[in-house]
Amino acid sequence: MAPPKRMSGWRQFKAIIRKDIVMELRTKEMLTSMGLYALLVLVVYYIALSQAGANFQVRQIAAGLLWLVFIFTSLLGLNRSLVHEKDQGCLDALLISPIDRPVIFFGKAVGNLLFLLIVEVFIVPLFYFIFLGSQSNADVGGPVWMIVLALFLGSLGIAGVGTLLATMSVNTKGKDFILAVLFIPLMFPLLLAVVAGTSAVLLAEPGYAAVFWQMMALAAGYDTVMLLAAYGLYEFVLGA
Amino acid sequence: MKQLKVAIVLVLVGGLLTTAAFFMAFFTAEVQTFGTVTLDKAVDTAFGLAPPELQPPGGGVSYQRPWFSQKIFYFHVPVAEASFLVLIISAVFSVLFLVKRRPQDDTKAKVAMETALIFVILTMITGVLWTRASWNVWWEWEPRLTTYFIMMLMMIAYFVLRNSIEEDERRGVYAAVFAILAAINAPISFLITRVIPSNHPVVFQSGFAGSNLLPFIIAQLGMLALGYGIYTARMSEELLRERVEVAKEELEG
Repeated sequence: MAPPKRMSGWRQFKAIIRKDIVMELRTKEMLTSMGLYALLVLVVYYIALSQAGANFQVRQIAAGLLWLVFIFTSLLGLNRSLVHEKDQGCLDALLISPIDRPVIFFGKAVGNLLFLLIVEVFIVPLFYFIFLGSQSNADVGGPVWMIVLALFLGSLGIAGVGTLLATMSVNTKGKDFILAVLFIPLMFPLLLAVVAGTSAVLLAEPGYAAVFWQMMALAAGYDTVMLLAAYGLYEFVLGA
Repeated sequence: MKQLKVAIVLVLVGGLLTTAAFFMAFFTAEVQTFGTVTLDKAVDTAFGLAPPELQPPGGGVSYQRPWFSQKIFYFHVPVAEASFLVLIISAVFSVLFLVKRRPQDDTKAKVAMETALIFVILTMITGVLWTRASWNVWWEWEPRLTTYFIMMLMMIAYFVLRNSIEEDERRGVYAAVFAILAAINAPISFLITRVIPSNHPVVFQSGFAGSNLLPFIIAQLGMLALGYGIYTARMSEELLRERVEVAKEELEG
């Protein structure tokens, strides 16, 4: 008798992502909570900047503010995404099923990346209109695709390393607190690079393209090293 | 109990060597003395200028205690290098634990991380003292300072993580995974903080006289002995604790 045919890695991967998307379409929980949280952070920004005066150029710090929204939002999203898996016993089911462990990592990481990117698609234009649209130099700045590239490279690292850390933190007593404590120091170099890159494009001072590409090279290097490490270590985390 | 004796000897040796290096830094190292020395440019804001009658007539500035703040170099740099070494040792034990799953490797990684945290905190304190004296600021987001700050946060996170997990095996694995990520992350942090565009000048004087090397090496050896001493002392404590646990279980069973 021939051994039962196993699903190929690609099909397993697609199945995990489909599961996350179907669940999201039914509950709409991740996107509403992440989106709402991002909006609340924008309100807090408005409060913080309300006394800055008309001469204050928000553009100078806009890149940092923008990434701050995504740090907080992704912390919330990553925690939710893995808490679901654990509470509903889905992670155990995934472990019992004949799915390769690395595929679970990539499936969850890509799912988290997808949700983060969707939130970014809504929040970035909103952020622009609220904080930068009315400023005197609203039309200066580099091409938009550069900002998109910076957002993608940053989100890739956040989703990849974040998935590993969230898988650990849901199994601890502190959950979301532990995630923040582990996540922010590890993300530090990546965030520094993408904020510098985004800021270079937003300000578009002479020679900004060179700075931008240098920062993107650093971000890509960080992503490569840390994603490989996360991929290698995920199996140990799942096995424990 | 032999381990504890070794630890005490090592700590004593380390203390002796670092103390010796401390005195050598003042009395045999080249840039030293408590008198007034004329230098061709302003170097140090830690202590005031010499009184006007001692100022040289043509060019140069006389200081009361030139390069005085530089003496912390013989403490600060050895501690910093030792902290980095111990962090790497901790990461190596973490890898060993993940591969072989021996509980003692986990304990060793934890104890090494504790030692590294002590050294990182000492580095931060001495570093802040020096930046205040030499750059006239308490804190500066300069690459080395920033990297050490992040390293300290990661080490604290390591212990926070350990404390929030109850099962031994899982705690070991998660802590090991995080220790490896932290050890990979530290050099990347350093690289990126060095190349991001920054408004702050990087003020680092270099150059090393031969007579300064000896106290430096002695201080470095002292720090390493001290580090290994602390590590051994904590390890013997952990082993005793385990023996107590086993004895308790036997009594109950």
